[in-house]
Amino acid sequence: MASRIAEHPILGVQEKGKLVLFKFDGKEIEGFEGEPIAVSLKAQGLMVHRYTKKEHKPRGVFCAIGRCTDCVMIVDGVPNVRTCITPLREGMDVRTQYGVSDKPFE
Amino acid sequence: MKRYDLVIVGAGPSGLSAAIEAAKRGMEVIIFDENEKPGGQLFKQIHKFFGSKEHHAKIRGFKIGQELLKEANELGVEVVLNATVIGLYDDKEITVKIGDGINHYKGDAVIVATGAAENMVTFPGWTLPGVIGAGAAQTMMNLHGIKPGNKVLMLGSGNVGLVVSFQLMQAGCEVVALVDAAPRVGGYGVHAAKVARCGVPFYLSHTIKEVEGDEFVTGVTINQVDSSFIPIPDTEKHFDVDTVCMAVGLSPMSQLLKMAGCEMEDNPKRGGQVPIIDDYGRTSVPGIIAAGDVSGIEEASSAMIEGRMAGICAAEYLGYCTKEELEENLKILEDDLESLRQGMFAPKNRGKLIEKTEEGIDISTNLLEKGYISEKEIERYPGVTHKVGIHPVIECTQNIPCNPCQDACKKGCISIGANITNLPIVKTEGNCINCGMCVASCSGQAIFLVDEDTGDGSSTVTMPYEFIPLPEVGDKGFGLNRKGEKICEAEVVSVRAVKAFDHTNLLTIKVPKEYAMKARFFKALA
Amino acid sequence: MGKVIDRNIDIGPFVPAPDDDMLICRCEEVTKGEIRKAVHDGMWTMTEIRRYLRSGMGLCQGQTCSRLVKGIVARELGVSPADLEPATARSPMRPIEMKIFGCEEVDA
Repeated sequence: MASRIAEHPILGVQEKGKLVLFKFDGKEIEGFEGEPIAVSLKAQGLMVHRYTKKEHKPRGVFCAIGRCTDCVMIVDGVPNVRTCITPLREGMDVRTQYGVSDKPFE
Repeated sequence: MKRYDLVIVGAGPSGLSAAIEAAKRGMEVIIFDENEKPGGQLFKQIHKFFGSKEHHAKIRGFKIGQELLKEANELGVEVVLNATVIGLYDDKEITVKIGDGINHYKGDAVIVATGAAENMVTFPGWTLPGVIGAGAAQTMMNLHGIKPGNKVLMLGSGNVGLVVSFQLMQAGCEVVALVDAAPRVGGYGVHAAKVARCGVPFYLSHTIKEVEGDEFVTGVTINQVDSSFIPIPDTEKHFDVDTVCMAVGLSPMSQLLKMAGCEMEDNPKRGGQVPIIDDYGRTSVPGIIAAGDVSGIEEASSAMIEGRMAGICAAEYLGYCTKEELEENLKILEDDLESLRQGMFAPKNRGKLIEKTEEGIDISTNLLEKGYISEKEIERYPGVTHKVGIHPVIECTQNIPCNPCQDACKKGCISIGANITNLPIVKTEGNCINCGMCVASCSGQAIFLVDEDTGDGSSTVTMPYEFIPLPEVGDKGFGLNRKGEKICEAEVVSVRAVKAFDHTNLLTIKVPKEYAMKARFFKALA
Repeated sequence: MGKVIDRNIDIGPFVPAPDDDMLICRCEEVTKGEIRKAVHDGMWTMTEIRRYLRSGMGLCQGQTCSRLVKGIVARELGVSPADLEPATARSPMRPIEMKIFGCEEVDA
């Protein structure tokens, strides 16, 4: 799966915040503090951020700059949080969004 | 409600440039930007820019961003981030979401520099995770240091599609194909050529039939289309990919201007719904000025000039500079802008098929249809000349506004002349000393230093190399032709990585003599 | 400015097409077929289409689909997309929570 770029020919080694733990659907995983939540998820190979309300279709990162709102998830209990522009903090509770809920569809 | 002389919406290249000019003239300026960081899209642009010195040519986009930001800060411009402008009303009142509240501001002048949004096209599977915009790919790899995917198919052969394809490879991704429904490459030929010689196949007159996958992208099928964009049966090709990237154009984000009551038009040459403006960005509402992509899709280099024009217009509107100063300044900037708007990719030529260069030389059809210049075609361009000993070979075959190569050569080998869209001429009377400055200065990576016969049956080819790992002297591998095919054995004989080259390393390979004009890239033995 | 489209022109009946199930508005999950049908139901302006189908009224506020919807409506009406007036631009320009939208900051 997609992974972090260790060294870039133009940008060199990119600086990151400290490595912290956060929760994805209840499971503890790692990410760098301050980077967008979506990046931490991508680094773990997690692609699906939510399932849509009507058709129950999977969605993930699409524009990565906070415009398209496809990457929204439930973060610390709040639905519709744009994970591509929301910085990761230690201990965050990030959940897959089903419609606007964190309960999977029947 | 707080009042400012000038409120600017958007801290991208045009907004920052506008702020600098206005603040220089004593105005109190505030910029709002909805993003966490300023600079707009500049910080994702890791390639060297085109143009001439005045346009920051051969400087990488993110460095231009750093310079602009520094200058704006030094002039005391207030840049408010995470500040989303949600409304622009009559009398130039602005509502801004900052934190958990709505703040009201009043600008005696307002510059709208909101930029553009990406266009998208639809195909079955386009909503699957793994289908992304080219901007998303740039954001992930160049800002956040993460690969958007491992195997990527790029849709769109405009400059964005070409530049991002190259950047994907720099980030370590594999680009399996570059696809465009149009019959010809839309972006600069030099950008196409540097992608093609890495071995990326171009599929023009092709479109995405469908993207496969249940939870995320696992593959993509493309098919050929006819001149009316109707799919041709039995032309399907399948690729296993995890990412499909779309680079199919931009649309101005002009809604704020519409809301403010500016007269608008739908202008396909400017990319969609845009304000009706004069030559300097002034809209139909006095004191509201538009700058950058919001008033018509162009490059960041033009956006910066438009921003400066807007800043000066705002200053004159409120009496911070005289009409004479305004006119004097605008004239210089207009000339700069005009020189960027020349050549075959100028806005006025959008959609036109150009078959000959301004010099009257046939444009390479292979370049337009396959992304690289054929061996037969290359000899007809003035940058391709021959002499004994080392000499530059410039594979720059389209009229684009760019001239750093001429400035880079102190030995009289390269000439463009006063018109910056002229094709560079390599003069055989020049005395090339193999300094490599021309190779590193070419934003299109189209310059090679060639010694066609080193006397032992070999030749040497020096090429720009912006990948890691950087090969080492003595490494063995293959010479690749312009299409990216292995054509001969090659050995690295020199690697130059000096600061003046700004990360464009110079790789010199030794190949058999007959490949001097054919080998244009190097692939090390696995 | 968009042209006023003559409401008396005959655009013919709705004819189903194989790609009618293509999703156009990603947020509100509106398909191409629904948009085409809406035109035949008499929704000829971008504003009417928005109100009728909610396309472009979801979280992203039409950032992605506006241009696509315009193209589909124009084709159905047999006009150029440039002839169609875009939907009204109004505040808030970006998705925003009502509690924030209603929270006017008073200058300190």
